[in-house]
Amino acid sequence: MTRLSGGLIDRNRPLKFTFNGTAYSGFAGDTLASALLANGVQLMGRSFKYHRPRGVFSAGSEEPNALVELREGARQEPNTRATVAELYDGLSARSQNHVGPLHRDLLAVNDLFSPFFAAGFYYKTFMWPRAFWEKLYEPLIRNAAGLGRLSMLPDPDSYDKGFLHCDLLVIGAGPAGLAAALTAGRAGARVILGDEDFHLGGRLLMESDLLDGAPAEAWVATVKAELESLPNVRIMTRTTVFGVYDHGIFGAVERVSDHLPEPGSTVRQTLWRITAKRSVLAAGATERHIPFADNDRPGIMLAGAMRAYANRWAASPVRQGNDAIAIFTNGDDGHRTARDLLAKGANLLGVIDTRKGAAAQGDYKVFDGAMVTGTKGRLGLRAIEITRDGQSSWHDAGALGVAGGWNPNVHLSSHHRGRPVWDEARLAFVPGQNGPAGMIPAGAAAGQGGTAQALASGAAGAIAALAEIGITAHPIALPTAKDASADQEAFWHVPGKRRAWVDFQNDVTVKDIKLAHQENMRPVEHLKRWTTLGMATDQGKTANVSALAVMAELTGKSLPETGTTIFRPPYTGVSLGVLGGGDTGKGFRPERLTPTHHWAKARGAEFVEVGPWMRAQYFPQAGERTWRETVDREVLAVRAGVGLCDVTTLGKIDVQGADAGEFLNRIYANMMGTLKVGMVRYGLMLREDGHLYDDGTCARLAEDHYVVTTTTANAGAVYRNMEFAHQCLWPDLDVQLISTTDAWAQIAVAGPKSRELLSRIVDGFDLSNEAFPFMACANLTVCGGLRARLFRISFSGELAYEIAVPARYGAALMERLMTRGQDLGATPYGTEALGVLRIEKGHAAGAELNGQTTAQMLGLGRMVSQKKDSIGAIMSRREGLAQEKRRLVGLKSLAPQTMAVSGAHLFEQGATRSMETDQGWVTSACYSPHLQGYIALAYLENGDARMGETLVAANPLEGTEVPVEVVSAHFIDPEGGRLRD
Amino acid sequence: MLIPHPLLGPRNAQEFTYLGDAQLLRRPDPQAPDAEAAFCDYVFQRSNPAGVHQELWFHEQGDRSWLVVTRNTVTHEILGAELACDVAKREGAQ
Amino acid sequence: MTDLSPITALGDAAPRQTSFGALTIQENAGLGLASLYLRKGQTAPAPFGMRLPEVSGAVQAGDYGAFWTGPGQWMIELPNRAEADVAALVLAEATEASVSEQTHGFVAFEITSKAGADPLEALLSKLIDIDTAALGPGRVVRTGLEHMTVFVIRRAEDRLAVLGMRSFAGALWHALETTCQRLESKT
Repeated sequence: MTRLSGGLIDRNRPLKFTFNGTAYSGFAGDTLASALLANGVQLMGRSFKYHRPRGVFSAGSEEPNALVELREGARQEPNTRATVAELYDGLSARSQNHVGPLHRDLLAVNDLFSPFFAAGFYYKTFMWPRAFWEKLYEPLIRNAAGLGRLSMLPDPDSYDKGFLHCDLLVIGAGPAGLAAALTAGRAGARVILGDEDFHLGGRLLMESDLLDGAPAEAWVATVKAELESLPNVRIMTRTTVFGVYDHGIFGAVERVSDHLPEPGSTVRQTLWRITAKRSVLAAGATERHIPFADNDRPGIMLAGAMRAYANRWAASPVRQGNDAIAIFTNGDDGHRTARDLLAKGANLLGVIDTRKGAAAQGDYKVFDGAMVTGTKGRLGLRAIEITRDGQSSWHDAGALGVAGGWNPNVHLSSHHRGRPVWDEARLAFVPGQNGPAGMIPAGAAAGQGGTAQALASGAAGAIAALAEIGITAHPIALPTAKDASADQEAFWHVPGKRRAWVDFQNDVTVKDIKLAHQENMRPVEHLKRWTTLGMATDQGKTANVSALAVMAELTGKSLPETGTTIFRPPYTGVSLGVLGGGDTGKGFRPERLTPTHHWAKARGAEFVEVGPWMRAQYFPQAGERTWRETVDREVLAVRAGVGLCDVTTLGKIDVQGADAGEFLNRIYANMMGTLKVGMVRYGLMLREDGHLYDDGTCARLAEDHYVVTTTTANAGAVYRNMEFAHQCLWPDLDVQLISTTDAWAQIAVAGPKSRELLSRIVDGFDLSNEAFPFMACANLTVCGGLRARLFRISFSGELAYEIAVPARYGAALMERLMTRGQDLGATPYGTEALGVLRIEKGHAAGAELNGQTTAQMLGLGRMVSQKKDSIGAIMSRREGLAQEKRRLVGLKSLAPQTMAVSGAHLFEQGATRSMETDQGWVTSACYSPHLQGYIALAYLENGDARMGETLVAANPLEGTEVPVEVVSAHFIDPEGGRLRD
Repeated sequence: MLIPHPLLGPRNAQEFTYLGDAQLLRRPDPQAPDAEAAFCDYVFQRSNPAGVHQELWFHEQGDRSWLVVTRNTVTHEILGAELACDVAKREGAQ
Repeated sequence: MTDLSPITALGDAAPRQTSFGALTIQENAGLGLASLYLRKGQTAPAPFGMRLPEVSGAVQAGDYGAFWTGPGQWMIELPNRAEADVAALVLAEATEASVSEQTHGFVAFEITSKAGADPLEALLSKLIDIDTAALGPGRVVRTGLEHMTVFVIRRAEDRLAVLGMRSFAGALWHALETTCQRLESKT
């Protein structure tokens, strides 16, 4: 054990956990990484490419090395950073990316071949021979690549989403964030304070600095208590603000139960969409390292992380308590770690400081003007080589902290292509002026990394942000604090021949960057893609700036001239599960149910999705072996007796107002203003380009009240287009549009006995042909006083009606019609039979109105009124459309058992199959039980003049050809006598 | 994005259906001698500039108003929004 | 009176109700609704003595209520009158306006909190992207909820109604129930 004294861990709550099957224990407040370090475990994984042994490198979400597979079974999650995984009792984790045990990884052989695996290796090597790629190279590479493994089991957890709104979003709860939140909270502003950590305090928890003469956590606790007491402040810990979007919208993931063994009945994570008027970016800074030879051994980590483990988690980085620790630094920050480690009783080898004349800042040895030039220790650091004035010496060391300066976490400030700017005094990129609108960077994220600076800039940032939205905030009393010295020199990497890692996660070394330079992959975006620098789970948080500095040195350009990569969301990885939000499976998309849905379900109906609607497709009966048997029975029942079908899904739009008739004249291609009250007319709607887009019936209930019926699919679009015409084209017309689709249950009652059936339920209403002819409509009551609307319209070609009643009575009316119509053969039918009936009658539906067809093609060219303007009228007369020669025809299959499928193209017998000889295409096809054969509708060149001709319907996709005879599209009752009698 | 609805204030753009160039408000005179050519332009020639653009948005999951939104398509900055019927009436009156 | 038996939007004989912690969801099957849309140039009437509310407003006066739905448009609420010809009743009060029956076009879920506004606002923040500060008592909003279009009426600090299209009733109930359940298990 290498546990130190102090720290923010609860020693009264020990927690057991396992790593690679070995049992360990830690305390509440530990992360997996801190608990492993406290147990003397340095080796935590293997590197991506060379399978080099690796240990923890950081103490936060920037971690490149210590990635583990967390949990078991379906909850196993690969690539989890041990540095942010909160310890819980029973946690189990495994290291990744090795074959065999971690300390004897068989793929470590890759390291021996490292000269072959340099940057660009894949691009160059696997090019030839080409045929080898798919069969040999790719499977091999895929097998060796990747880090953790997926469980391949369905995710057992649920996720949630939500929406929050605030005046000020404070991103990060370190000194700057806390000062900002408190300032804004006291001003009464609505504040959201988000931090990825499970404690508030950020870097304050990692440092030994005093605030108001006391440990910083005391001030943090006071501020936390006050913020919690303010109803206008929402504190969100374990929440990563991962992306900035337009107009002050932020994406955030709250890890609701990742710190628990299992989520239980709650969700695992919540995706929040936060709309903030202003934001303060107080995301802190990430330390960078200094590449040197063999700098990737377990035990070598960022000096600031070493300090954090010692102060917050009381964990020492060495395997055994008395192993020596060294610090390699280019500035005063390394000495800060040295002092804190000494205070914790560490055995300090000393501080290797690149600056000539650097002095000790405590009781330890300083190697000034020196560098670390080599290391030893296969599975963990054992010794380091220190070179000073050309003299090298080896020293035993169990851990080495590297301090290369701090990079402000500018990521979110550059999500809108805002470019960070180089601050030569701070040797760092800081947020530029062109960041997201309304975002003010503060604290270390803005280069104000001293504790006093951070507190002051956070408070000032909040005041400035709120002033922009008219909220006056006053300066608050900030605790007294000191700014630690940030003095450092520009020292980016130790020159040498051996490999010096820049990006640990992707195994990118200084040599690789040199190679990229040599290959002319110099712009940063090329550098990234050529070497894979900055890719994968950590997105190069600890590597990017160092790599730029190396490239700058090679090109002889300044660092800002070399550039910086653009950061894009997410800041850290976001699981796909949480992006999916709340519902999975059936709940993912809401369903619309018809008023008779439950009734139909109880009768055993099969359903079909029609957009969001679930419609009864057919109603199987006992003894029916195929769906066709059922549908044939339903069709014949309609033609012989009476059938019932729920057609509620058709869109119904109330059009009222003094100008309703004139408005509809402009909406429909045909006249509607002349329609008599109490009558219905079939109407065609065109797009402004002259093509058909919807059809349906229009009923006039009163002088100033019409009901427009749309197809199911276009209900939304027709309403939207009518509102467009009303609001944008003719705002002076007196028209009011209201959608009433759901209000009325509408049932088609079709068949020769439909009048007889309806006469049994209407309340004294005269249904005779004289009183209520074809295309009549009326308000009436049925079943003893129930308000209803009756329309005498027909889609099937039979005597038919549609009756509408308040939706809640739809199921009861259907049942009543079934009961009263038993002796008439009343039969419910679904969308399949509906389709067969309308094909037999030659009525158009979606397949005929596919957006590429015209009224003329339907044989309804004369319906497009030449006397008035309407949407699409002008363009429908243009040459290309006016001379359109294709017409809707019927086809009878001449091969008894074969159907000409929809989409098949028509050719003359013996003609070659080509665009030039193409005669048209089949739109709809079915088996007609009435005609006892396969029939179809088709658009055919000069169709009207080709009755009786024999053609071939070819389906080259399946290599089938069916001979067909051209007939009228009206297979049933072409004169329409059945409709009118 | 947030659409600044002139009556309802800023609202999530997901509530809206996008149509495009607000030129669609200016339907040509069907009586004009060159009506067919004018309609051809109206239907097929839409601007889609990189920069400030006037667009039509329909508040489908809202009050069902059509809006004319002035938006910079490069920065997504929204410079204003009006009820389309107000724009149409104003232009009709001219 | 008809001898047909109505069913609720959820397909049941009686309205559904459920509770999770402080929150209760109750299907309001008796709510009568009709839309009122002003004709061109018409001044707003005062149906049932109510002054029709401004943009995003909702009023309740005795047995009647009204909420804004769009420019010149309102929905008139007649609680416990779902069996009546609501459109006719409203038209009698606003003879010049365009009135459409909407009683059966919507499903209404009344959600009440036993613990004040907080649980309701926590619920709303999981359902709709609307600032709850703009949805205080007497306010209404129409917005998207799980891809469905709904009205949310804040009837009081501790009460609100969610009105959705009737055909979506089951999906809406599922969304409300799941969210309430998750909120309860979190606390």
